[in-house]
Amino acid sequence: MDVSQDLADYAAKHSSNLLARPQPADVDLGYLAAFDTTPTDAELYSSSRDSHLRDLALASVSTLLNSLFALPKTSSPLGPVVRPPAPTTVLPREKPLPKPKPPTKWERFAKEKGISHVKKDKVVWDEEKQDWVKRWGRGGKNKEAEDQWLHEVKGGDNADHDPAATARAERKARIAKNTAQQNANLASASSSKEARKAELNRSMLISKTSTASLGKFDKKIEGEPKARGVKRKFDGVVEHDWKDEKAKALDVLRGVESGEKRKVKGTAREEGAVNVRKAVRGLGRDGPGNDRGVKGKGKKGRR
Amino acid sequence: MSMLRTIKPKNARVKRALEKREPQIEEGDKTAIFVRGNSTSERVRLAMQDLYALKRPHAISFSRKNDIHPFEDASSLEFFSGKNDASLFLTGLHSKKRPHDLIFTRMFDGKVLDMIELGIEEIKSIKEFESPKSSVGARPLVVFHSDLFDTHPTYQLLKSILLDFFGGKAVSEVPVTAVEHVISITAGPLASSSSASDSASLPHVHFRVYTMKALPSGGGKPRAELVEMGPSLDLSVRRVQEANEDTWKMATKRPKVAKKDVEKGLGKKRKNIETDEMGDKVGRIHLEKQDLGKLQSRKVKAFKTGKGSAKVQED
Repeated sequence: MDVSQDLADYAAKHSSNLLARPQPADVDLGYLAAFDTTPTDAELYSSSRDSHLRDLALASVSTLLNSLFALPKTSSPLGPVVRPPAPTTVLPREKPLPKPKPPTKWERFAKEKGISHVKKDKVVWDEEKQDWVKRWGRGGKNKEAEDQWLHEVKGGDNADHDPAATARAERKARIAKNTAQQNANLASASSSKEARKAELNRSMLISKTSTASLGKFDKKIEGEPKARGVKRKFDGVVEHDWKDEKAKALDVLRGVESGEKRKVKGTAREEGAVNVRKAVRGLGRDGPGNDRGVKGKGKKGRR
Repeated sequence: MSMLRTIKPKNARVKRALEKREPQIEEGDKTAIFVRGNSTSERVRLAMQDLYALKRPHAISFSRKNDIHPFEDASSLEFFSGKNDASLFLTGLHSKKRPHDLIFTRMFDGKVLDMIELGIEEIKSIKEFESPKSSVGARPLVVFHSDLFDTHPTYQLLKSILLDFFGGKAVSEVPVTAVEHVISITAGPLASSSSASDSASLPHVHFRVYTMKALPSGGGKPRAELVEMGPSLDLSVRRVQEANEDTWKMATKRPKVAKKDVEKGLGKKRKNIETDEMGDKVGRIHLEKQDLGKLQSRKVKAFKTGKGSAKVQED
């Protein structure tokens, strides 16, 4: 039985002599890492690889531990804790830095006027109840007017005037207004002016095609964009680019061979966007029967 | 119809989950996905299993095979990354041309940042070592040996990726006695006759993991004892895809954070926790005197207040 290797391993494991390095490993405590930049010894590497690798690791680990233990320690439930300095190695982030949130219309206005905003509390003091009540939500203060058991009716009110319903309608209107403002802020934050303009144009074209006459007899507004469809273009019969035609035919064949699905025109757009080509398809023709494009819209979009 | 269509969370839980996925000033640990290609070898499976064990709990192992070739088409990786909010990948493949293949991929902003392909020349798995193992989630020390990691671009990339993979995020506090294991990565000596650009002659990289026992020694200086824990991998370097310069610049941008903010939780909301001048963490807890009158006793239907009647009773 040859135990020389085992003995050597044991001796290596238990000796306190570290492998001599020409220069100690560079230490990056932030990542708990050490980098030994000395070239690997070819002789030791080929003769006794595994023990050499362990010696190398041991040397760097002790350098790392020495600098780690040299830091000031504080006590904690987990034992002594050190706070390593920020790392020096540059590793990439996972996601880009967060973008600052664009200010809302109110925030822009407040800044211009120098108004400092005080955040509202969720609860308000109720003098009658002598208690804190919620500003909104179930049993909230904003429902006080509609929830009271007795309503005051003024002299001038109609006979069918319902004060509770009116108060409720007013509250709902305030909510709707706030939602609209929020949406406007979101829209202005996420899209540029040009994109917004294009979007409005699109909405307008759709609304125009939504009448029975497809907008033919509608009143024109000043500066109204002209509804333009995509004009069909044909290749010339005489002056013809044969290479182009060949490429097109081959393209069709390749599509059939690979079994790829036919790409519906206009699908390569943002989800939820209006397909203008389809929206205005019926415009140029006479008769309201040609609105297939508008009708079928809901089903074509990829989910 | 509006062009704007943001995913609007329907409840608070979804909202919190979505907010967590948004870019943060200070990022957490990167999650790694371990995914197998259509054909793998025993070596690849062992390596992936063991590296997964090392990377846990910030790791997701896919149980199914996937038709993935990251160097040819990384679209599925990008899809997985988006679905799982993960930015590291280890893909295992095996083919005649590239036997026992491991591909490390790093993502930035849902797109592939860089990749490196390694071949497993030899492997000894964790199970083959009879030694104490590190516990799950313990943070390793990572040590690199060889001048190549400092000079050769391929090895620099390898160092960066492996450090990202196993070193993880920067630590702010380390319990010194909680360090359990060491990952040691050593590149072999550069053969003298070879030219640096020839990929076949690039020296192998040795991946070793040791459990560590700090021994008491004189002068308060620690002395460590290393026992190999596994896995032990001998890897050859194959294809490399380096990061686009602009993307790399974007990815390595550092946020401007004041020192005060660093101590106060790095842009994250930390209520009622402060660090005083002595560097001690001070927490404030608010407790009310318990009102035993409100103690929940037996529930009987007759005591129940309906939606409308609650107010009546209060009055």
